[in-house]
Amino acid sequence: MKRHLTERELIEYQFKLASEAQAEEIAEHLKDCGRCRESHEKLKRKFAALDLLRDGTEVSEGLISRVIEQAQVGISDSILKKRLLRFARNDKWIGAAAAVLVIGLLLLVPLFKKQMPTREFAKEPDALKEEIELQKQAETAPAIDLDEEEAIEMFAAAKEKAGAEKLLDLATGEILEETMAERPPFAPASAIELVVLPRRDKVQLTIYNSADLTLVRERRNLTLKKGWNWLQFMWVNTLIDPTSLSLEPLYQAGKIDIQQLVFPARLRELGRWLIRSDVSGQVPFEITYFTSGLSWRAFYMGTLSADERKMELGGYVRVTNKSGEDYENAQTRLIVGKVHILDQIAELARRQYPYGRPGEIRGRAGVWDASRGAGIYDHFLDFDEDEELADLKRKEIRKEGLSEYFLYTIEGTETIPDKWGKRLLSFEAEDIEVKSLYKYDEQRWGPQTIRFVAFANDEEHNLGETPIPNGTVKIYSQAESQGHLSYVGGTNVKYIPVDEEVELNLGPARLVSVEPILMNFETDNFLYDKNKDIAGWDEIRTWKIEVTNPRTLPVEIEITRGFDTAYWTLQLDGRDVSYEKHDATHARFKLEIAPRTKRTFNYTVTTYHGLRQEALTE
Amino acid sequence: MDNTDESLINAHRRGEPAAFGELVRRYGDSVFRFLMRMNGNRELAEDFFQETFKRVHEKADTFRGGQFKSWLFTIAAHVAIDGLRRRRRLRVVSLEQSFDCADASGEQLDAVAVADNSSNPSDEAIKTEQTEQVRRAIALLPAKQRATLVLAYYQQLSYRQVAQVLGCSIGTVKTQMYRALRTLAQKLPDLSGDAK
Repeated sequence: MKRHLTERELIEYQFKLASEAQAEEIAEHLKDCGRCRESHEKLKRKFAALDLLRDGTEVSEGLISRVIEQAQVGISDSILKKRLLRFARNDKWIGAAAAVLVIGLLLLVPLFKKQMPTREFAKEPDALKEEIELQKQAETAPAIDLDEEEAIEMFAAAKEKAGAEKLLDLATGEILEETMAERPPFAPASAIELVVLPRRDKVQLTIYNSADLTLVRERRNLTLKKGWNWLQFMWVNTLIDPTSLSLEPLYQAGKIDIQQLVFPARLRELGRWLIRSDVSGQVPFEITYFTSGLSWRAFYMGTLSADERKMELGGYVRVTNKSGEDYENAQTRLIVGKVHILDQIAELARRQYPYGRPGEIRGRAGVWDASRGAGIYDHFLDFDEDEELADLKRKEIRKEGLSEYFLYTIEGTETIPDKWGKRLLSFEAEDIEVKSLYKYDEQRWGPQTIRFVAFANDEEHNLGETPIPNGTVKIYSQAESQGHLSYVGGTNVKYIPVDEEVELNLGPARLVSVEPILMNFETDNFLYDKNKDIAGWDEIRTWKIEVTNPRTLPVEIEITRGFDTAYWTLQLDGRDVSYEKHDATHARFKLEIAPRTKRTFNYTVTTYHGLRQEALTE
Repeated sequence: MDNTDESLINAHRRGEPAAFGELVRRYGDSVFRFLMRMNGNRELAEDFFQETFKRVHEKADTFRGGQFKSWLFTIAAHVAIDGLRRRRRLRVVSLEQSFDCADASGEQLDAVAVADNSSNPSDEAIKTEQTEQVRRAIALLPAKQRATLVLAYYQQLSYRQVAQVLGCSIGTVKTQMYRALRTLAQKLPDLSGDAK
């Protein structure tokens, strides 16, 4: 190789990217060529900088424990599932029990055939009513006192009376057209007749941080049959509020009617929608409901520059899911603002029955009505009453009364599994001009100086694109010589609208101090009433204020003094100090203190009492 | 208990809780360092760390033998690359916004000050600055080049292993590595101080 090596060849040689033959050739060349050797050494020195990142960063014990803990919750679940599977596979008695049950049913059917003559449901509409009554009894009876065998008997009798095939057809929707249009079927007794709720296609979460409330909108494609369909929705082990459930078709709305959502007795934590469809096939639906357990909070990290005139601000949002449900690829929206809710969603979710126990007197659709001696199915039959029908079809959810609020949307989608939290970057802004300020007000904070950082959420401060949600702020400052960070203070901020100024209270200052000293106190100008009692007087106090700034930066300080009366006058003795009347009972002094200096000023305040107050007014 | 990686992952699959913990402790530091170098932000690295081991836990049944370390870093690399691509920002939108799920991506790294133990403050400041330059230079690399560099150089995986982790050929890995190094050659600080 006569030519000199290129940078590419040197890099490939150094990082073993070249083939063996090439590497050998390059090595030979380097032996003979001083210039290439020098380039090679220079390159090696250059890439030696990469080793600066070979630090000994270690993962914290807390994070490891958290990961293990979170996994163990999952492990217990999977063990349980595996054990159940093993149990189902190995225990032969289940098969035997199933066989006994089937034989028992076969023996019972002929027995009831003899007792009850068979009727054709399609030809005799009254049979349907009877069948409904029977099945209703079969549904309600066990809630009173009926064992499983008796329930099976009742159900078998109902089937026999109305025609077993027809009953099945009712639930699945394969019934005669004219009957379908008029008569809704029972809530099915088993899951066999149900439309299975498929996986979500899309999900949107709107999380309110002022209340434990999240609005979930799911999009799912349901496969409907022409006719009546039952759709089952379960919320076991979640914090979903069943009273807020709503289902809407996104297409073919005119041909699909969501008739009712029922909560069958004896079956906890599930609801069944009755859907009448004039079409068959897949239809996209939107299911909406409220859930509890999802929350979000904003927090911010600010870093002050060495001269404390600029700040970098990073905003983050942490979304936490403790709702009992995994939300995959969810579009997530965050609401800032007060929401008025009538009920705590978590409590609604934990209720055994969505609207109270069966048998309670409510008298409206969707609940059992013991006073009428029957259940929900009476309402299905009273179709001619318009008002009743309206109640059947729509459930009004009056859970929210939104006032002023603001919405943030996380771009794209996020998967937020149950029991997991997720932190997202909200914004980053550099070179925010800030005002570093100290305040002293004994009546508010006691005898200590409080440190503030002030800025505005506007374009001038490299912010102002969005309002800033309320959250916690931690402020760090850069140590002057080494660029290391030190913690300055933290506070909670309220919602900051665009173009609004904000002052962050960073807590007591460690170095800058204010010390007021009472130098003199006297009373004067006494007035007496006709009984020669004191009716008015002046109190004259002279204060010396010492302000110390041991820092290497100049500071601006605001000292507020209160007099507990609106009748006062003040005389200032000090150069470069000014004051203003802050309100009726307070004066406020503003001054700048040079680095590593102490400044003192005096003022005399006269307060007027009793009849002397009138003298001041005059 | 046999303490090889494979026996631990098998034990975890059987539902032994201690096995997963042992794996997390064994590889915690190296996975965390990898994630730190990939994104330069401790908080984000912690999130990715949780996500990585969550996937290890959930996908344990899909581990088909072979090197556990490669499998683990495959997951970590996917988490890091996806995370970097999908880092999202909040934005304010109208309440009337339609129910859609537009994706947006952005790759950006946070600078993190690195402290070291140098005794001389001046040297320490220089070294901190140089470390920062290295971090910034790596941060400028596209996600795949960065993953290749971190896995091959810092995690000291062979190019074959890197290819396995990133699911590509050795040739692709070498190309990515070369491109990363070519970029870095322009951006890295010169420690000897004789270069511009």
